[in-house]
Amino acid sequence: MNSKLSNNLTLFCILLVVTGIMTVFLPAQFLTLRNFTSMGLQFPEYGLLALANMLAMITGGIDLSVVSIASLSGVISASFLSQYATLGLPVGTVILVGILIALTVSVLCGLLNGVIIAYARVPAIIATLGTQGLFLGISIIITKGHGIGGFPPAFLFIGNGSVLGMPTQFVIFVIIALLVGLVLTRTPQGFSMLMYGSSPQVARFSGINNEMVLIKTYVLTGLLSGVASLVIISGVNSIRPGYGADYLLLSILIAILGGTDPAGGFGTVLGLTLAIFIMQILQSGLNILSFSPFMKKFIWGLLLLAVMVFHYYRRMYALRRAVRKSSQNPPPAAPKEALSGQSA
Amino acid sequence: MKALLRRNEFYLLLVIVVFSLAITIVNPAFFTVENMFDLLRSSSGMAILAVGFFVVLLSGGIDISFPAVAIVAQYITVNAIISLGIDNLWLAFAISSAIGIAFGAVNAFFISVFRIPTFIVTLGTMNIFHGAMLEFVGTKAVNAGQLPNAFKGFGLADIFSLHRADGTAYGLSVFFLVLVGVILVTWVILKYTVLGRVIYAMGGNMEAVKRSGFNIRRTQFFIYCYVGFLASIMGIIHVSLIRYSNATYIIDSELLHVIAAVILGGASILGGSGTLTGTLLGVVMISILEKNLVLLGLSSYWQQFFVGLIIVLGVSITHIQKRIQNRRSLALARE
Repeated sequence: MNSKLSNNLTLFCILLVVTGIMTVFLPAQFLTLRNFTSMGLQFPEYGLLALANMLAMITGGIDLSVVSIASLSGVISASFLSQYATLGLPVGTVILVGILIALTVSVLCGLLNGVIIAYARVPAIIATLGTQGLFLGISIIITKGHGIGGFPPAFLFIGNGSVLGMPTQFVIFVIIALLVGLVLTRTPQGFSMLMYGSSPQVARFSGINNEMVLIKTYVLTGLLSGVASLVIISGVNSIRPGYGADYLLLSILIAILGGTDPAGGFGTVLGLTLAIFIMQILQSGLNILSFSPFMKKFIWGLLLLAVMVFHYYRRMYALRRAVRKSSQNPPPAAPKEALSGQSA
Repeated sequence: MKALLRRNEFYLLLVIVVFSLAITIVNPAFFTVENMFDLLRSSSGMAILAVGFFVVLLSGGIDISFPAVAIVAQYITVNAIISLGIDNLWLAFAISSAIGIAFGAVNAFFISVFRIPTFIVTLGTMNIFHGAMLEFVGTKAVNAGQLPNAFKGFGLADIFSLHRADGTAYGLSVFFLVLVGVILVTWVILKYTVLGRVIYAMGGNMEAVKRSGFNIRRTQFFIYCYVGFLASIMGIIHVSLIRYSNATYIIDSELLHVIAAVILGGASILGGSGTLTGTLLGVVMISILEKNLVLLGLSSYWQQFFVGLIIVLGVSITHIQKRIQNRRSLALARE
């Protein structure tokens, strides 16, 4: 509980600092309604993928196929939606079916990941690396590498419309994030995921069906990618296989920045959301200063390592304090060994 | 015989033979010395990358930064050679390996000092290396006209050459010699040195290696520097082969292919097991597949799909096999 609070507090301070810097140095461009609206338009796409990766990481895994799942479900749904004029069905039905197609495809993709990871016991990194190629491959085969576009105008509401003055995808993101938070904190599935992530053995011996937990986890990550695909294709009114390739790094970076432990067992939606805001503000800062995409790539890479190094020092500090405490009250003097683990 | 049948390599070889026969039936030109030489020339680079990736995998780690290292080493070296005006292949190799080894050391530093998961470290450094090069060095492609002669000469050099019916020559590229050298060195290290045995042991049980008093940090530095070094050699071979240096080449295409090849070769993704022979057979399989899909009536769009499928099926089968084996030995132990 304590580490959860301190993690989110740290993130909140970083967010304040980042916002403060932007406000002081770039008030004219940063503090505008237009900038905030455009930020609200941008982050749901990769924010949903980051949520997906957070869930995978909580179970000690990772999902490298999120972008490819979004690509595949987007392509299949798009090939249906773009035919709306010739189908002769009411537009509402077409849109509903299109959405269902995207979500179904993404759930099936997630199911495949889950089965491979849970039953074949393939490490998530390599399983999803493979399916990443597979899903992208299928979407390339379907489209022959071209883009698909031209959807019913009403469908574009998801990516371009607004609800109560807020961009629709922002509202979608908030709802989904709340749901994911509920799943994590209020359902047996969420509890089992956290438990599996801390220790698969303990989870198994407590009577948790590890295989089902993993399958459900990857179905969820798939589903989140499917929702992201809807936001993406609706936002640009087209889809091209390979769109959003940079989002993979971004989604992993955000999940880790949000305090999710890539070794499993820890992660909060609040932390992740704060991390998304931090990243989005940094992004728009870099955009305002017109940094090149290459420079961003460079900075995101550095940031990823910096966050990991920070986590390392925090862990060491906590460990050292625990050792000091235990040496003050003599009896349990064992943990010293843990600290000098790599003295060689 | 029984031992042979249990080997993953045996089945892979079988598949390669069957697949080659199928292609030969469709296109008799496939099974000619010339085409074999051509295949060796074009896949030597990938094989070198695969050897490097195999070593990392053995140690229980994973390195996805090697394509970035290869392209960055290549691009900087080519530009350095042009601006220095010293048209020398050895100098090119020296510059390139220095970059590759330095990048490897950066990976090893984060992995061993801060104990960050290898995948996350290399995901970060991959973007750092490539992003920094694109931003600070440049993005302009170097074409065949600008490419120093050393590279072009290296690309055309043959160990020996044969003559076609019409009198024109074709030969076995010196790339093959480099590849053989890399394989021999890696094989000797893995098989006959303490270092090599520690690499195997690290993949098997890291804790045991630690407790036995081996220096894990030094071994990790060796592993990641070696991968960086091999990637930098591949970078030079790649530019000599295609006579063109583009700042975004290698990065997307090679990663999945190399991983697919190594996994197909039977190396365990969890580390500790696998053979060089298997890895090389995996490379042969992937390169044949890559270059002959079109012959079998499938468009090049299918390539990505097949590579993904191979990884998925390959890892699933090896892991299920291992589970069955474990269960069997458990049952035996009970009896």
